[in-house]
Amino acid sequence: MEQYSDRLDTIFQALADPTRRAVLSRLGGGPASISDLARPFDMALPSFMKHIHFLEGSGLIRTHKQGRVRTCAIEKAQFGVVESWLSAQRAVWEGRADRLEQFVTQHEEE
Amino acid sequence: MIRSPDPDLDLTTARIIKAPRSAVWRAWTDRTRFEKWWVPAPAKCRVVDMDLTPGGALVTHISEDGGAFVPHLDACFLAVDDLTRIVFTDTLTAGWRPSESAFMTAVITLSDHPAGTHYAAHVMHRSGADRKMHEEMGFHDGWGTVAAQLAQLVEQTH
Repeated sequence: MEQYSDRLDTIFQALADPTRRAVLSRLGGGPASISDLARPFDMALPSFMKHIHFLEGSGLIRTHKQGRVRTCAIEKAQFGVVESWLSAQRAVWEGRADRLEQFVTQHEEE
Repeated sequence: MIRSPDPDLDLTTARIIKAPRSAVWRAWTDRTRFEKWWVPAPAKCRVVDMDLTPGGALVTHISEDGGAFVPHLDACFLAVDDLTRIVFTDTLTAGWRPSESAFMTAVITLSDHPAGTHYAAHVMHRSGADRKMHEEMGFHDGWGTVAAQLAQLVEQTH
């Protein structure tokens, strides 16, 4: 259960950033290279790569290097975790259970 | 009384909490404690009313991003069994008055476990026809905002 919650945490953190959401939107149209993805953003490549790594770590995208070009693609399966309203409600209740557990074990030990 | 969960409309979650049942019960039923965990930080929860008796109110407000407190949950307790079970619904408000906008009943059960307390929540929802409302309600929980953005994104792109 904790793992499910952690997984959601990472996904939602990945989605909480406008750059990362823009990258996902772009990848929704099909795979793209890092340099194509980075072009619209006014930021240094290392900063942009941090976003890519975060997205890859969350499982929302995968990357593949061929020659000197690294290509990113969306990982549809991971989106299934959060795409329905019931999953959204589940995230709410999993979060509550996690916080209750944390609160009780940290504050109420006698 | 307790029917098996409907996979399309219900969700269940459970935890083994390494603390006595009385401590878990207190965290749920003491307003000040409840406010500490009910919503994810940085949002803040304020309990406006918590009358732990069948027909009693469970009313909370929420403040997001340090803004004003706005209504969050307006629900009614259906059963409150000391140290064992809490049932509440937002299909009714205090005094069993039918509610305008509502979609769920939650059954919280606590039982003893060798490691402490077995905590379980069984949440039953209205039919999927109300999905839009669910998404709107979810907004206030922080998660929902992002989930809705994501749902939108997924719908746009697939």
